[in-house]
Amino acid sequence: MRLFHDWYVAVLVNEDGVQVDRLRWTGGGGVQGAVERLERVAQARLTPEAAQLLERFPEANVEPVGEGELPEVTAEDLAFLDQAALRLAERGVADAAGDLDRRLEHLHRAMEEVRQASNVRLSRLVEWLGLFLPDLDLDKDRLGTARALGEADDLGGLARHLGLQTPLHLPARSEWRSLRDHGAAAVDVQARLDRLEAALRTLAEAHLPSLSALVGPMLAARLCVGAGGRARLAKLPSSTVQVLGAEKAFFAHLKTGSPPPKHGFLFAHPWVMRSPLWVRGKVARTLAGRCSIAARLDAYEGTPMTAEDVAEVEAKVLAIRAAHPRPPSRKGGR
Amino acid sequence: MGRASGKPPGRPLSDAVRMDVHAPWTWSANPGATVYGETLRKAKQGEWRRWDPRRSKVASGLLRTSGAAERLLPAPGDHVLYLGAGHGTTVSHIHDVVCHGGAPGRVVAVDLSPRCLRDLTRLSHARPGLVPVLGDARRPEAWRAWLPRRASWVFQDVAQAHQASIFTSACERFLVPGGRGLLSLKVESDRGTDADGLRVKVEHELADAGLILEEVIDLEGFEDKHLLFVVGRPPRA
Repeated sequence: MRLFHDWYVAVLVNEDGVQVDRLRWTGGGGVQGAVERLERVAQARLTPEAAQLLERFPEANVEPVGEGELPEVTAEDLAFLDQAALRLAERGVADAAGDLDRRLEHLHRAMEEVRQASNVRLSRLVEWLGLFLPDLDLDKDRLGTARALGEADDLGGLARHLGLQTPLHLPARSEWRSLRDHGAAAVDVQARLDRLEAALRTLAEAHLPSLSALVGPMLAARLCVGAGGRARLAKLPSSTVQVLGAEKAFFAHLKTGSPPPKHGFLFAHPWVMRSPLWVRGKVARTLAGRCSIAARLDAYEGTPMTAEDVAEVEAKVLAIRAAHPRPPSRKGGR
Repeated sequence: MGRASGKPPGRPLSDAVRMDVHAPWTWSANPGATVYGETLRKAKQGEWRRWDPRRSKVASGLLRTSGAAERLLPAPGDHVLYLGAGHGTTVSHIHDVVCHGGAPGRVVAVDLSPRCLRDLTRLSHARPGLVPVLGDARRPEAWRAWLPRRASWVFQDVAQAHQASIFTSACERFLVPGGRGLLSLKVESDRGTDADGLRVKVEHELADAGLILEEVIDLEGFEDKHLLFVVGRPPRA
């Protein structure tokens, strides 16, 4: 006995190929009935009709769905199928919001954009204001300068407040208002950036607990987005993780034979950045290996890394630095 | 988006499709609406939609083919399978054809991206017979039930590695004997081969799967580094 089925029908055939029994879905449950049956078939589970036939003939062999001679679908079946398909597709679209990779990506990119906007605003602002206030320090506490500007009544008052010389030229009234608005807006953009970063930290720590513990949530998020998602990051070899974010240098290396990059996004980590030039590659390689392990723990839901695990990696990094206190000799090298 | 009215464009390929010098046109199954900003042309009892060959590989194939263009398209009432449906540009024209004059055609449009499905589901509300599926072309078990009858026309445009083997297994599983399949091949998606090497490799793969290669259309100029393979599945012996 063999049991064939699809979402709309189940058929039982004996050894001679003769149909013994057949159960057809008769539209019970309407579109929702079709949705449930399609879902079962997609997950390789038995439909209610197939289960019922199997109960009657427990010795039957269940064949893969849709194989063998099944009766044709009717126009009615097809109408149900199309409506159910649309409902399933819409549910699938709505379900995309449950994918933390997608949410992390939007949050990360929004943060990058706002960070860029914030930097552009602040640099324009200090240059603009610095034109009127020649002894203003343009590089010190730009945000504090913006805040003071946003709250000032006029340029003379601002100069007194900041302890600077009285300006030689004063802006026109409307010009001053625009300048002050620009200062207030720069402060506002900075506040938005802070909120974005806080949200990104929270999401990254939930989605990538181990990687966040190891390299911090911001860098963890950047690695994840750069790799195209947590599952893909977990599948990458750690040699790729090491140069993730340095694609330009990496492909230039393959094409022209220029020296390969030692680090990509990972350069942002103090263990790499603050190491002397000649051990950065070694440190980045070690760190990339641990990042791969952390990403795999996160993707396959293992026990997250603890502070001790991270301290162990740090000890290893410090050992690498200690083992190479001086740059290698150039003799005989490249 | 123009709405010029007057005489129908070009010469007829079939009831549903006409062809002018620059582009094919399809008889709209949903008159009054554009899908992607294409030009519309009013006619007495409906509307023609211009099928932009720069945005659709099937349309550019229709222009470039050395044989009869109409053989590349399904017929009204056909059930067809479209893998890699994207945002529904080409799908909408195929839907125009298979649902021409209220024919009970079905286009099962599979795509992996929820973003694309969003556009396809919107389109589907206005176009009954267009069936969107959120699924992976490489995993047909998950959506094969959506296509209870074999398709008479299969099109694939997935820009993934192993495009040819995805296509041959789709044809084996879903294409009716005597049906026609179109494979749009993005040369860059299969690593480590140049265009000519890939072409030969794919030709072998298609032949091994028992498909008869009718034509390979180079879409250069419309779509860079894309080849359109036109195959037929032999009728049941």
